[in-house]
Amino acid sequence: MSIKRIYCDISATTPLDPRIGELLTDLNEHIYGNPSSIHREGQAAKAVVEKSRRQIANAINAQPDEIIFTSSGSESNNMVLKGVLRSGDHFITSSYEHPAILKVLPFLESQNIETTLVKPDKNGMVQPADIEANIQENTRLISIMWVNNELGTINPIFEIGSIAKEKNVLFHSDAVQAFGKIEINTEEIPVDYLSMSAHKLYGPKGIGALYKRGGTKLDPLIHGGGQESNLRASTENVGGIGGFGMAAELSTTNLEENTEHILRLETYFLNLLNEQNIPYSINGKKRIPGVFNITFHGVIGQDLVLQLDFLGIGISFGSACASGTVKASEMLVEMGLTKEDALSTVRISFGKIHQLDDVKKVAESIGEILKINVEEFANHAG
Amino acid sequence: MPDKVLVAMSGGVDSSVALLKIVEMGYDAIGVTMKLWEYHDVGGNLLDDSNCCSVGAINNAKLVCDRLNVPHYTLDFTDVFQKSVVDNFADEYLAGRTPNPCVRCNSLVKWDAFVQQADKLGAAYIATGHYAKVQHLKGSSVLKKGRDTLKDQAYVLWGIPAHTLSRTLFPLGDLTKEEVREIARKNKFETAEIPESMEICFVADNNYKRFLKEYIPEKMSEIGAGEIVDESGEVVGEHSGYTDYTIGQRKGLGLSTPEPRYVSNIDPSNNQIRIGKKESLTKDNCEVSGVNWLVDNMSFPCDIQAQIRYNSPVIDATITQKDHQFSVEFAQPQIAVTPGQSIVFYKNDIVLGGGIIEKNY
Repeated sequence: MSIKRIYCDISATTPLDPRIGELLTDLNEHIYGNPSSIHREGQAAKAVVEKSRRQIANAINAQPDEIIFTSSGSESNNMVLKGVLRSGDHFITSSYEHPAILKVLPFLESQNIETTLVKPDKNGMVQPADIEANIQENTRLISIMWVNNELGTINPIFEIGSIAKEKNVLFHSDAVQAFGKIEINTEEIPVDYLSMSAHKLYGPKGIGALYKRGGTKLDPLIHGGGQESNLRASTENVGGIGGFGMAAELSTTNLEENTEHILRLETYFLNLLNEQNIPYSINGKKRIPGVFNITFHGVIGQDLVLQLDFLGIGISFGSACASGTVKASEMLVEMGLTKEDALSTVRISFGKIHQLDDVKKVAESIGEILKINVEEFANHAG
Repeated sequence: MPDKVLVAMSGGVDSSVALLKIVEMGYDAIGVTMKLWEYHDVGGNLLDDSNCCSVGAINNAKLVCDRLNVPHYTLDFTDVFQKSVVDNFADEYLAGRTPNPCVRCNSLVKWDAFVQQADKLGAAYIATGHYAKVQHLKGSSVLKKGRDTLKDQAYVLWGIPAHTLSRTLFPLGDLTKEEVREIARKNKFETAEIPESMEICFVADNNYKRFLKEYIPEKMSEIGAGEIVDESGEVVGEHSGYTDYTIGQRKGLGLSTPEPRYVSNIDPSNNQIRIGKKESLTKDNCEVSGVNWLVDNMSFPCDIQAQIRYNSPVIDATITQKDHQFSVEFAQPQIAVTPGQSIVFYKNDIVLGGGIIEKNY
């Protein structure tokens, strides 16, 4: 017996948009040339890559030569940190960045690069003043994520970028959770590097990109052939790149429409929780639409995730480890939640694939599970 | 709707076949790998597939579950495992005793934390790949030895809370290890050829001295060399620190005596090891602490069979009780009745209960 699944972990990854799926099938079948080759097969592949570069550049109001294809958001992050910082430099980032930033820090330390970690405030946002206060003479780079992956909160990137620019410090933002969900305009926002990934916006996995503002310096992470203007060697993932381009175009052209749809889902979801008198609190202010870091008091988040999974609903809890276990988020405790509340917190993320019916099923399932758990809790206590 | 069963999946061959059996019985199975410890806390090789809790073992468990279309989760039990098992393991060695962490893990983690998890997920039963049997009778459940006498694991299960027996399934109880491997091969399980792990899971290199040095470095650094004394109390040599020895140990004493000598006593307060001839090791009695009964209506004195080490033969013995204190008298004197080790009580193949050897005399 199989039940219809409702996948509500859009922040972790997205299913392929069917249109992109079709494109990938087509590219895999017909476009097999090496973009560096001289013949027509090579030319056809090159065209796919360059078309995609333009689509991505357009999506963030940048120039095509400012887009470098990588394998992932993680690679893009690594590339900036390791390609910009040198011995004796100072680096500022936040304590709630993605592991693809935080786990680079021990390596940076071994290279005699000093890091200052700025903490997010109780609303889950990095305060520009905290960044400014920590800038030193040798500060070379600041890296602050555009949207936090656990909370969905949007950071004041314009303000932070402006401070960096004024102080003549390079500024990178991990925009993996922002790209395709909110507007990103590199003409208006003073940012030097942006990390992006296709699989968060209904594109394929294993393809990412880095925006590098024209004129800024960067050393490659992967040396070899001259692909990507000598910045990222290896034969291009042509299919993935083609899919990424379409994903970027679809998500930006339909941004307003998608946002409206997701906000409608969001309001409906919260109304349904309220109608059932479910006690909850949402962590973080100024969030991207559809992403809830939400505490359900009186239930262990991990148990709620499993019980919803049994009912065909996929949500997430805490932060994932290599082994696949999860622990309560330490970040939430840092933000001021009690340890109990952090343990009772899950992440639910809705996207354009969801309909009102899906949201209703999720809200009602949560209601049922909470009722059982609270009764059990009372039985044990009694 | 079939009952839900939480199946503990270590990523080895036994739990893989246990899962298959549960599925075949028609239950609604849920595979769970209990993440008990982290390599960076205990040392060892993170990528060694043969050890449970390694990434490779967890991935294997996931593959087998996926083959059987069973959901698989890796759940974190590191806090309770560290508090209940790992810390106790170190404390016992510091107290000059020889601990049995697998027993504590079964008693306090697998049959306590795991049953609680089953409750929370609405699962009627838990199942594991232990070679033991539970007979569910009207109103009571009885733990019995497994059919495979070489693999029988009833010894390590004496401490599980009696009330959880009715919630427990051992699908491998009637199988031998060879049969289990054959089933795994037939089903092309990724785990079919994974070698037997005999060591303590969190001491993957089987070097408990290395483990203690890394886990409690300060305390271990305080324990230096000490005296080896003979039965008369005369100093006959020097040892490397009392935690390096267990009762009954013969090798590694660095002594040349005409007749073999064995460690007969460990005195942590004086960092002293006493040795003696084989006869000095034999004891007629022991006191038992932490006794857990898996059957009702025990009355004392009671003639039973006892087992004082994993895989050692069972021996006739009598249990007596005085002021809540249990003592065991062996029908014949026993060698190496080791404080810290488990003593398990049987009536034929039924496990009555067990406890921890406290003192011998």
